[in-house]
Amino acid sequence: MKNFSNTYIFIYITVLVVIVVALLSGLTLGLKSRQEMNFAADKASQILRAAGYEELHGQAAADLFAKVAKRGAGEQEQYTLRCADGTDGTVVRVDGKGLWGPIWGYVVLAADGVTIKGVAFSHKSETPGLGANITEEKFRSQFVGKKLYDAEGHFTSVRVLKPGREPQVAAANRVDAITGATLTSNGVDAMLQQLPAAQTNDKSQSAVQ
Amino acid sequence: MKKYLGPLSKENPILVQVLGVCSALAVTAQLKPAVVMALSVTVVCAFSNLIISLLRNTIPPRIRIIVQLLVVSSLVIAVDQFLQAYVFEISRMLSVFVGLIITNCIIMGRLEAFALSHPPVPSFIDGLMNGLGYGLVLVVVGTIRELLGAGTLWGCQVVPQAFYEAGYMNNGLMILPPMALIIVGTIIWIQNTKRNKAK
Repeated sequence: MKNFSNTYIFIYITVLVVIVVALLSGLTLGLKSRQEMNFAADKASQILRAAGYEELHGQAAADLFAKVAKRGAGEQEQYTLRCADGTDGTVVRVDGKGLWGPIWGYVVLAADGVTIKGVAFSHKSETPGLGANITEEKFRSQFVGKKLYDAEGHFTSVRVLKPGREPQVAAANRVDAITGATLTSNGVDAMLQQLPAAQTNDKSQSAVQ
Repeated sequence: MKKYLGPLSKENPILVQVLGVCSALAVTAQLKPAVVMALSVTVVCAFSNLIISLLRNTIPPRIRIIVQLLVVSSLVIAVDQFLQAYVFEISRMLSVFVGLIITNCIIMGRLEAFALSHPPVPSFIDGLMNGLGYGLVLVVVGTIRELLGAGTLWGCQVVPQAFYEAGYMNNGLMILPPMALIIVGTIIWIQNTKRNKAK
């Protein structure tokens, strides 16, 4: 076997790394526009599902989203949209921390600003089968019809709690956490506290039953 | 030619060498992600074998593992980018398992055992065949699990509605990872029985 000098090794690996970096950067730049289109369509598809529409993918989702939703002014990502049942809703983006990386979601609020019509969650790298289940229908469907205010009209948002924990939180303000995914569930719980309380404060009295 | 066909049955990377099992269990709940994963691994395995074989006389032995990892991981990143751009839904389903191809022992194993000591064309074929041997098992397991677990194949309903009305039910256990282990184990058992008979 040939003997290679240290200089050769250093030059060899440096040249190889530079070539690889150049190739991969070129590829990433070339595919970027397509990927961004996919991400946008995926987001549209998730929000539409939260608003009660049938499951759509790709361009079909993006087209429908453009038709029914309008981006609100302001820094926070927010949309007004016509839900599948014909009523108007507000979509609020929330961001939080999961176990391994960022998690985020879109919450569709009814016109009263108090009742949740649906939610969509996404994550960067939660554990498949545990934390990643926040995107599953079974978890998301729990949120439908939940209220952001308790019976006294205080803002509680929707809490994600282990059944039996904090019994003072009423059923209308809580959903069940995911077994085996405590940290991701806590992340969703904290994330939902970002839902807008201030701008709906005046309506809170009327919405409480 | 015969020696290249080994990975498909007698020297199958999953069934005989029991490599790459983790991803084989994780992505086979449905046929579609299983096929995409199989193709991804085949592409990475074939081209990393080709590249390493082309470079084999210039690679200093002391850093050969680093060079191999560099080649494999850049190919995997490229595949991941393509999947995200062209089959977004499936790339979502495969989640972390595309990235984990980097650590798939089949690929590193073939680089060490074959590509470093053979010319480019045989190396390419060897990588291709090992990738296909891996893919074959994935497709078989994916077919069984999707058919019995969800009554569908490639996302299309194949178990007729009349069966469900007569009381047939999908087996929920099929789509859970433990069942994948049992199926792979059963295939290994059949394979071993066949091999022992041939001796």
